[in-house]
This record gives sequence, C-alpha cells and structure tokens, in this order.
Amino acid sequence: MPITNNRTLTEWLTLLLGVVILLVGLFFVIAGGDLAMLGGSTYYVLCGIVLVASGVFMLMGRTLGAFLYLAALAYTWVWSLWEVGFSPVDLLPRAFGPTILGILVALTIPVLRRMESRRTLRGAV
Amino acid sequence: MRRSYLLATAAGLALACSPLAANAQFAPAGSGGPPSATIPGPGNADEPKENTPPNSSYFAGPSPYAPQAPGVNAANLPDIESIDASQVPAMAPQQSATPAREDWPAYGRDDKATRYSPLTELNPETVKRLEPAFVYHTGSYPRPGQANKWAAETTPIKVGDGLYMCSAQNDIIKLDPATGKEIWRRNLGVKYEAIPYTAACKGVTYFTSSVVPEDEPCHNRIIEGTLDMRLVAVDAATGAFCPAFGHNGQVNLMQGLGESVPGFVAMTAPPPVVNGVVVVNHEVLDGQRRWAPSGVVRGYDAESGKFVWAWDVGNPDDHSQPTGNRHYSRGTPNSWATMTGDNEQGLVYVPTGNSAGDYFSGLRSPAENAVSTSVVALDVKSGSPRWVYQTTRKDVWDYDMGSQVTMMDMPGSDDTPTPALIVPTKRGQTFVLDRRTGKPILPVEERPAPAGNVPGDSRAPTQPWSVGMPALRMPELKEKDMWGMSPLDQLYCRIKFRSAHYDGEFTAPSLDKPWIMYPGNNGGSDWGSMSYDPQSGILIANWNASPMYAQLITRKKADSLGLMPIDDPNYKPGAGAAEGNGPMEGTPYAIAIAPFWDPVTKMLCHRPPYGMITAIDMKHGQKVLWQHPLGTARANGPWGLPTGLSWEIGTPNNGGSVVTAGGLIFIAAATDNMIRAIDEHTGKVVWSAVLPGGGQANPMTYEANGHQYVAIMAGGHHFMMTPITDQLVVYALPDAIKH
Repeated sequence: MPITNNRTLTEWLTLLLGVVILLVGLFFVIAGGDLAMLGGSTYYVLCGIVLVASGVFMLMGRTLGAFLYLAALAYTWVWSLWEVGFSPVDLLPRAFGPTILGILVALTIPVLRRMESRRTLRGAV
Repeated sequence: MRRSYLLATAAGLALACSPLAANAQFAPAGSGGPPSATIPGPGNADEPKENTPPNSSYFAGPSPYAPQAPGVNAANLPDIESIDASQVPAMAPQQSATPAREDWPAYGRDDKATRYSPLTELNPETVKRLEPAFVYHTGSYPRPGQANKWAAETTPIKVGDGLYMCSAQNDIIKLDPATGKEIWRRNLGVKYEAIPYTAACKGVTYFTSSVVPEDEPCHNRIIEGTLDMRLVAVDAATGAFCPAFGHNGQVNLMQGLGESVPGFVAMTAPPPVVNGVVVVNHEVLDGQRRWAPSGVVRGYDAESGKFVWAWDVGNPDDHSQPTGNRHYSRGTPNSWATMTGDNEQGLVYVPTGNSAGDYFSGLRSPAENAVSTSVVALDVKSGSPRWVYQTTRKDVWDYDMGSQVTMMDMPGSDDTPTPALIVPTKRGQTFVLDRRTGKPILPVEERPAPAGNVPGDSRAPTQPWSVGMPALRMPELKEKDMWGMSPLDQLYCRIKFRSAHYDGEFTAPSLDKPWIMYPGNNGGSDWGSMSYDPQSGILIANWNASPMYAQLITRKKADSLGLMPIDDPNYKPGAGAAEGNGPMEGTPYAIAIAPFWDPVTKMLCHRPPYGMITAIDMKHGQKVLWQHPLGTARANGPWGLPTGLSWEIGTPNNGGSVVTAGGLIFIAAATDNMIRAIDEHTGKVVWSAVLPGGGQANPMTYEANGHQYVAIMAGGHHFMMTPITDQLVVYALPDAIKH
C-alpha cells in the first residue's frame, strides 16, 4: 500500500477502526477457538475469521473491509436472536457493542471509497 | 458510547492475553503435581493427641494443646463455674413472648422470629411521606491502616423507652427511640485483631430476671455475645455491668476451646434465652485447618452466667466443661447463624454449618456428618439433640445454614394447626418441619447427586429437595447464560464456564480443574432470614443467585501461594485467609475460591438477576404470590463504577425484611444502597430512599410517642463492596419528626 503524506483525519480514524476490528477479530479467533475446542459455541471463531478479514481489508483501504464487517454484524444478529430471542438483557452483551461499531463502520464506507478511487487514479497514472 | 466500547475492547484484549494471570489462583489442568499429603484413612484421620509430634511445616498451625495466644481471653476473666440444669431458676415471662404492640423486643421481633409488626400507621399510602427522623453514629468503622472487614449487620431492639443496639465492635448502646439521643453507652473495648471474617453484631438480647426484684438494677438486662468471645450482661436502665452475672457481668467463652488466636472464633448473633438458659454459638473462620477450634454450642444460666451444658459433637455424651488440658472436640461443625428458642418445647433450634476444612469431607467423623448443615433441636435442659434435620448431606459447598428459622402454625387438614418451623437454606430449598419431631410437613424428595471427583472423598448418593415449597433458585447454568458488557467479556466467561466441572447444584469439588458452585455459599437465603405475616399467611423471602468458582489445590501449590491458617506463627493478616482462598491445613488440599466473575470488570459472569424477592402464600398451597428482582443498577457497574441506572437488574443482597400489619414490607439488603417499602400484596415498590451506606442489615420497626418508626443500620458490607458507615438511619412521618 503506497504511503501518501496527505491522509485526512477521517482516513486515520478509519484505519484506527480497522486496527480495532482486527484485534477484536484476533481475540475472537484465538479465544473463540479455545471455546470451540472446549465444546462451546462456534460463533466466535467463525465470526472472528470474518472480522480479521474485515480488519485487514480496511487497513488496505478497501471498501470490502467495511462490507465484511457488516456481514459479520448481520451474522451476529441472526445468531443472537437464535440463541436468546428478543431478550434485551441477553442481547446487550451480544449485539449492542457490535452494532455501535457497525454504525461507525458504515460511516467509513465513503472514506474507504475515496481511498479506493484515489488509489485507482494513482494506479492509472 | 464508542469510548466505552473501546475501553471494553482494551479490557477484553488484556483478558485475552492473560486469562490465567487474572486467575492465577486457579491451577491449569494437570499442574502442581500429585498431592503432597497422603489420602487420609484410619490412623491419620484423628484429631492430634497431646503427645502427637507437632507438625513442623512453616505453613501449619500449632497443636490444639498449645496455650491460647495472648488476647484470646480478651478481658482476662477467671474460669466460670458449672451448675446443674435443675439449679437454673424458673424464667420470668419475657417481653419477646408477647411483644407490646409498639415494641420490637428481640432480633426477630418475637419468640417465633416472624419479623412481623402489628403497626399500621405506615401503609402503602402514608409511607410515601416517610422522611429521615434521626441518624445515630456508632463510631465503629475501619480506621486508617485497618483492612476493611466491616459489615455491622445490626438490628436494634426496642422495649419501652429504649432502642437497644450494638456497634459493629460490640459497644452496647441505649437510644431514645423518638429522638435518637444516646441514653447510655457501654464500651467493651473489642480490638481490631479480634475481628474474624467480619466486624458484625447482629443484635442484643433483652432478658427480664425472675431473681432480681423489679426495682433493682439488672432486673431487666441486655445480654450480648462479642467478637472476642465474651458473654456480657448489663443493666437495661443504666448500662452498668450486672455484678451477679459471671465475673462482674462477663463470661469468657474461650474457656475449654483449646488453642486459638484472636479472630479465629467469634460471636456475631444475639443469643436466645430459652427457659432461663442463654444459648451461645459461634463462628469459626472457614477454610483454615481441619483441627480448628470446636463448634461447640453451650448453655449458661441467664441469671448467674454459670455454665449449664455443652453440646460437643465429638463427645456427645459429655455435657460438662473440659478441665485441665482438655478441650472441646476440634474441627466440628460450627453454628454462626441466629438461633431460635422455643420455650414451649424446651428446645433451641440451632442452624449448623459444616466441619472445618470446608471443601474436603474425607476426614469427617460419622458424628459430624450426622449434624452438619442441619437444624439441630437441642433440649435446653440437657444440651442433647432431640431431633436433627439435615438439609445437605456431606456438605462441601459451604451451604452452611445462615438463616434464623421461623416458627409458624401450619394449617392442617383438620382444625388443629401443626407447630411448624420454616427452615430457609442457601440452596434456596425451604424446608417446613414439625417442630416437635423435626419431620417434614411438606413433601421432600431424595434425588440422586453426582459422585465425587477426588480420591478418598466420596459424595452422598442423594440429596433432599423440598418440592412442596417454591424453589428460591434459578435454573441450572448454561453456556448461553454467560453475560458481560460486550462479546469480549462474554466470550471470556463462556471459556471460564466450559473450563470448569458443572453437573448442577451438587457438582463435587475437583482438583484437575475448577468447579462451579451454584447457588453457592452466597446464594439462596442467608442470615437476613425470612419474615412471616401470621395474619395474611404471607412468607417473604429475599434470595441470591450468585455462583462461586473454586478449585481444590495441592498442598505444594497452597504453600507456593503462601496460604496458612490464621493461627500459624508465621501468619500475617491479609496473607490469604479470611474466607477466600483457604489453606485447609490438615487436609490433603487447599481451596482457591472466588465469585464466578470476570476479575477485571468485577462483573458476575452470568446474566442477571442476581437477587430476588418472593412472596409465598403459606395458607393456600404454598404458591408464589409475586416475585421480582430486588435492587437497581444505580450503584453497580463494570469496574465497580456506579451506572446511575434505575433499571431493576436484581443485585446481590444481604439482610432481611420486615412485614407489617399496614401491608408493607421494609427491606434494604440490595447493593444499590437503598431501602424500600414494598406492598405486601402486590409486590410493588411504594417508597424508597437512598442510604448513606450499604443497607446490609435487617430493618426493624417500632412506635414511639404514638408514631411509627423504621430503623436500618446502613453499615455496608465489605464482601458486598458497599460503602461502610457507622450510621443507624431511622425514618418516620413528618408529624412524628415535628415533636
């Protein structure tokens, strides 16, 4: 990825979000792998793989990263509702934080698009 | 929102990197090597004899025959003499037998321990105008440099012109019930070193003498058992020691207990007087050593303070005081809860705990196994059990009996009610017994229980379940019950859940990995006990669902953690004793134990509610009338931070309820530091107020100058992590306060 010296603040924040998602994803893969090995839910390790991919693509400035996160979020909601139904107390740990993060990710889509098109332009020169 | 989520992420990552560091006390599977002690059996399972070579380990306690440490006999009192039960004078009628309408003369208000008051000034309408009338400061709270071991747990009593209470360190106080003005105060000088697990004084006992004439001092007296094991009697009018009781008003209860140190043994509950015999029990610090001081229960003459009998589980036929170098049998089940006296049956109902070395039962004698975690009905003439009802067999979960049992008349099929006893337990199983025989009145089922997990310690094949009463418990835990602020801490808790043994309520202790105890030793009904309205037949129970996470650890690992019993010469306060991790010295294993929580956020691992309140209709088929979570999230949250939310999450609670003829329940108990008035019939909270500290005490109510007052000790509780204060807060209607 070419390093340019004219990144905007929103781009830096987008990359920071990518780092957060990557770290959460790694935690999901490692600890979720442990959980699956102990006979527990496989949601975390599967979701973690998508989150790692999401984080990597976001750090590469690819819109695909954001869409992967939103896919993981959709998976999270489906899984949460399957596991606990419409119980607010039980949805709180499962879906609340990821949804807040999802809103932030949605906000990054235009930024990622801009980064992508800039790169395409530069590639065309 | 985003910031808090990032914080949560950081916390989660910290956990991910060091799940074991955060839980260092729990050994990973297979670590630590084989147990260093041999599996006990005949020959090494006996209490040490006088000539047994002392255990020279750095981590071991002294011989039971070693002299008591300085300060154990706190007031340096001479021995007390014994008298025969036939010499105990006949008892005068007591205030608690038929309490005056406006009084609250005993810890549980009356002899039946109903916690029911006939007062009606406060009802679901008038209670909304309740205001603080006065606050009294007892002066007992942790000073700089003292560890927080405070939880006053005090309930005042009220007789006539006096509100009598004790401070957390046992100073006895008489207040004007209308103004809170101190009338007298008897300081007893209980030292910080004498505080065991908790500086608590649940209350004092009011006794009217049949020997001292009415106009002389000590005709009415206040009797108290202290943290440093004194039985004290003072004049109710002046607070002066009663000279004819013991040695100038005091008896040394450490007599006959053998080797001990200050803080190992303590009294925190008010002793009942039954047919002239004041019965004392005491707490023995959990988890220290197999041969801890005895859990003996003793009777003394309430007039003279002289010794009458002992119930020593290891010497069931010897009811006398040990002489010379002898002592009561060591390591026997102790009883720390408030006992209930039954003058009519001549019985005292003793709620017992389990034997010392709480989580390993392989060394216990058949005599101990027969009476642990039971209600024992002792004959107050002889000190012998008339009947025993066991609520958990071979208890290794610390389901010790915390509640005072309550007497009631159970409607029968014909018109004659059965004299019944309501027996709450930490398991949330409430047994209802015939108090003449100890036989269950409501059906009890024996259900199979899991087998043992460690060699040399088999488990009971079945356990009793009181299926005739609503269970005060949640369903068994599942992985999906794990909770948190985010998926990160929830994932951590799921791993913790899956890493432990869990086969339901009676999951046996294990060495290879942790096990989950649920309801656990802080679950179900505890010392707050229950309140019972004999008019409406409604029984009020507040209870907990807070599992514990524990693991047996090898002696080698225990030594590496520095665990040693409190009476080890090398023991330093704070070096790992006090009811958390315990050395269980003298057994093959030690215990690592903590709440089943996320140690970083200090949030319990499972979904709320953690505390509930339930009303049960005892007259019409023991049905639940209403039940809801007790306590809001306002003072609780991740990292112990208050959230300020009024969401009734159901917090852990400690302390009991009062029920009144006005149709109200008064209860604090929850960790949101509030006191509430609840409509007895609907369960709706009709009034609440924020207390200056944690309300972990039983409230009480009384009338003075024609107005009703409600008193609560807002002393807080160290284990519940609520603010500690020395304040007794008393509420009344504005009309009363004007006077």
